[in-house]
Amino acid sequence: MKTDQPIARRMFRFFTAAVLVLMTAMPIHAEETVVRIGNIIPLSGPSASVGQQGKNAREMAVAEINAAGGIQSLDGARLEMIYADSESKPERGVAEAERLINTEKVHVLTGCWNSAVTYPTTAVAERYGIPFIVPVSVADKITEQGFKTVFRIAAKDSWWARDQFTFLKDMEVEFDTPVKRLAFVYENGDWGKGMAGQWKTLAEKGGYEVVLDEPYPSTATDLSPVVQKIRRARPDVLMLVSNAADAILLTNTLAAYKVKPKAIITSGGGHADPSFLEAAGENARYLFDIVEWETDINKPGAKEANERYKAAYGQNLTGEAVDAYLAMYVLADALERAGALDPAAIRDALAATRYESGKGMIVGYEAVEFDSTGQNKHAALMMVQINNAKSDLERITVWPKNARRKGYTPVFPMP
Amino acid sequence: MIYMIEDTINGILMGSIYGLTALGLTIIFGVLKVINFAHGSLLMVGMYAAYWAVALTGLHPYLTLVLVVPVMFVFGYYLQDIVIQPIFRAEKNVREPITVIIVTTGVWYILDNLTLLVFGPHYRTIQVNPLRGRMLEIGGLMISVPKLWGFVSAMVAAAAVYVFLQRTRMGRAIRATSLDRDAASLMGINPYKVYNVAFGIGTATAGIAAVTLVPFYNVFPTVGVLFDIKGFIIVVLGGLGSIGGAILGGIIIGLIESVGPQFMTATWTEAIVYGLFLLVLFVKPAGLFGVKYDW
Repeated sequence: MKTDQPIARRMFRFFTAAVLVLMTAMPIHAEETVVRIGNIIPLSGPSASVGQQGKNAREMAVAEINAAGGIQSLDGARLEMIYADSESKPERGVAEAERLINTEKVHVLTGCWNSAVTYPTTAVAERYGIPFIVPVSVADKITEQGFKTVFRIAAKDSWWARDQFTFLKDMEVEFDTPVKRLAFVYENGDWGKGMAGQWKTLAEKGGYEVVLDEPYPSTATDLSPVVQKIRRARPDVLMLVSNAADAILLTNTLAAYKVKPKAIITSGGGHADPSFLEAAGENARYLFDIVEWETDINKPGAKEANERYKAAYGQNLTGEAVDAYLAMYVLADALERAGALDPAAIRDALAATRYESGKGMIVGYEAVEFDSTGQNKHAALMMVQINNAKSDLERITVWPKNARRKGYTPVFPMP
Repeated sequence: MIYMIEDTINGILMGSIYGLTALGLTIIFGVLKVINFAHGSLLMVGMYAAYWAVALTGLHPYLTLVLVVPVMFVFGYYLQDIVIQPIFRAEKNVREPITVIIVTTGVWYILDNLTLLVFGPHYRTIQVNPLRGRMLEIGGLMISVPKLWGFVSAMVAAAAVYVFLQRTRMGRAIRATSLDRDAASLMGINPYKVYNVAFGIGTATAGIAAVTLVPFYNVFPTVGVLFDIKGFIIVVLGGLGSIGGAILGGIIIGLIESVGPQFMTATWTEAIVYGLFLLVLFVKPAGLFGVKYDW
């Protein structure tokens, strides 16, 4: 037995040889066309969880596209995903973009979720003329650099405030309830102040009267003075920007002081926190919150997509995931029309996109179509109302109207 | 005018609750000569105790005092006995041992993170309780019922602690230790025992404050930090070690926070509170109601 080699080692040799043979054989198979897609997303670091959601959604979309026969105009070319970890760091994003373009020879780039990473990274893609699809990074400036290769699917930052006002106008018309007096109450950080600044401009344009404009510290231990100011200002509609603890405290204090405006419109953040509904309970009823996407959206294919995603990854789709999912379908659509792997051809096809129906179209708005800056001009947010459709309080999609949950009528004004 | 009355009442009620949260801080400082950075965390522990007691039994929140106060006393007593006392013994020749402050900071981090680990980052409020969202309406005047209860608790707790320190044998021992630790131990008082009791009482008052907060405030792992910062300002304002000062300091802060926003945005009242804090430090470092000697 001593002279005999152990069976494990012999097996190892055999497999090594087999792998080597296969590897040399690979280039022959690689002649079938492959679209190489570079994805720079945060897979570690503070935004890792959201990066992973984006990766999962991309994987799901690409698997579906490949299973359906790939890109027909390119002889059934498969989409091949190459991931790079940005670690949420701008310099990592830039370095990875260089590597993906020069070493990996990608045809298209996507990413990067963190606006701070996307902003400098798109500049690299622009330099090489590689099309860069941004599923979601909200900073306005990303599509305001005059670049030709940047295409953003999701709505930008300033559209959140815009959509809150569009929603309000639509509600006024739908329920024939005019609104005049607005109160703005917001946390005194960058986010709250930024939103309030936009609200003020929009209110002026919309002919509303601002009866209260009140920042407050998020660390406040007592918000009844703020609630008293709201009560005394008697607004028709109260608009809020809050972090988690203050959202709960504010909602409960408003209920205690029996402040009942026609509507309360909130801006996500603390009001979208999973523990908000639990902690505010009944006091949160009829609140309107803005959101990117909700699982109950009334769009063909949305429910099925969510079920597939949940089965594969154990979580519900999120706004970020949906944007990434849609981005892959938009890309496949553009590749189909481009019929070539030349970056310039792909760019031109993307610029001419009008994607209205298809498996990826599970978002609240009607179409993906890019304006001259590369921003999807149809992108919009959605509004949900907190109410009970069945037994428990939940977030029910109410706006845009065609995405509204079947059989639900929003409660406006608040009873 | 009615607005002014309403805001003044809210300020006094909320302020007395702030004073109550700071009461334990001032007691512990008065005796141990140590700023207890873990005080907010002790308040947080008390809030979780009260929250679970109410959530699991459905009792009136104030009935949980029967449970929370003894539990918190024992918790504080042994926290001092086991964790803090060894440091005191190592530094027994120092009047105000700095290392103990660092230990209390450690306790703060450990308690907050343990809570985060065990209960998660969720915000909790007691959904069903007889005090939640209750309002007393007199004409157009609205007074929060849970805050009114808090005000009464603060007054009773402060008075009880005061009487205990003045009238009982243990109270006299505490005061003696606080005045002069070495002289007290020459008189046969075991200062470490006194420290344990003082820390226990301080923690128990944090427990009372926790019970008053739970009916209308959220419970979450870092809730203590919000009240901690306020607590430090209050005790400096009122005078470190002064019981009446803590309550009055709390009421001053409450009034600024409540009446101020009628003349400016709520953000500014915070600036005023900190400004006042600095002013008092400059002009009267012993605090508005501080005494030259400790008790």
